Amino acid sequence: MNTRNDVEQMIARVGLGDRAAFSSLYDATSAKLFGVCLRILKDRAEAEDTLQEAFVRIWQKAGTYVANGFSPMTWLITLTRNLAIDKLRKRKAGSVDIDEVYDLADSGPTPEAAAVASSERDQIDGCLNELEATRAGAVRDAYIEGHSYTELAAKYGVPLNTMRTWLRRSLVKLKDCLTR
Amino acid sequence: MTTSDDHSDDVALAGEYVLHLLDAEARRAFEDRLNAEPDLRGLVADWDAHFDPLSSDFEPVAPPALVKSRIEGVLFAQAAKPRWPLSLWQMVMGAGFAGAVAVAVLVVVPLTNAPDPFTPSLIAELSAQDQSLLVMASYAPDTGILRIVRQTGSARDGRVLELWLIADGATEPVSLGVLPEDRAADIILPTDLANAIAGGTLAISDEPTGGSPTGAPTGDVLAAGAVISI
Repeated sequence: MNTRNDVEQMIARVGLGDRAAFSSLYDATSAKLFGVCLRILKDRAEAEDTLQEAFVRIWQKAGTYVANGFSPMTWLITLTRNLAIDKLRKRKAGSVDIDEVYDLADSGPTPEAAAVASSERDQIDGCLNELEATRAGAVRDAYIEGHSYTELAAKYGVPLNTMRTWLRRSLVKLKDCLTR
Repeated sequence: MTTSDDHSDDVALAGEYVLHLLDAEARRAFEDRLNAEPDLRGLVADWDAHFDPLSSDFEPVAPPALVKSRIEGVLFAQAAKPRWPLSLWQMVMGAGFAGAVAVAVLVVVPLTNAPDPFTPSLIAELSAQDQSLLVMASYAPDTGILRIVRQTGSARDGRVLELWLIADGATEPVSLGVLPEDRAADIILPTDLANAIAGGTLAISDEPTGGSPTGAPTGDVLAAGAVISI
């Protein structure tokens, strides 16, 4: 099991162009990142393509990760999840035009959020539990499954605009709770 | 609207952005604001961190070994002296065509084992639907080099693979030349094509020896992939 420090050091070395470190980083993290791709895309070939894109991007961007305040796995997972959801949306839109994914690397979390992250899963679960069950479910589905508003509206049997209003209100409540 | 309402709006908007719930237009508008507003970037970073604990729901699954070798292939490809066959331009001229066909003039750069400063910012994965042909292309604008690495598959017997660029918004593909038998090759794109590659699509067609005789693909399109920024 690799610690946060191990992964951080691997990314730092990858940022310097160290191919052996890249290989170690791949071995240490690819299963988790492939899990992200599979869960969102639900298609093995697309998940493999996306994992490949993610690691090419990691090789290119590792130098910008250093000391930006994110935990290394957050950085890797966010990057991979963004690519996977982009691919999912493009598949549904039937288009090959690919938007630039905004890179989270140039702005770390505020000290507030970094402190929140340290208490891990309990806090987000606690705050989601303060929402109505279906509204918390919609937030989870958006994050884990990459569902769009249209899919969420269909799944929870409400009009699109209602879902949008629910979710935006849920986010504001969630933020209040998470930063309390 | 009060400042606090604006803030709540931005909190929700940043959350929607992180969850990828904004439509394409709203997403672009938000990204324009992100570039200009550090506070907004802070909100996005906060949401990334807030949601991160949910990622424990992603079960790890070991990817096939092939994926790692493909990635290392596209990033670290080294090959010895590819021979690039006749360019389409030479082919067209040699065949006596005088028509005003837009073609690329290609310069093949031998790959060496020297330290490799190649740092691509655009890539494309050209794959056949049945994965029988897979070619990775990566382009480094500062060098003008388009690096082609054929991962799997090859030309049909007595035929060649020809590479095409369909620029964003273009209706006609432009030939980038015939792929060599070697697994990897570098080609230098002329400036006009270099400027057209971002946002375009690369495709490979099945052609007779020497490449398409018409300046447009004549055989089956075997593989294609969008050019994306990395």
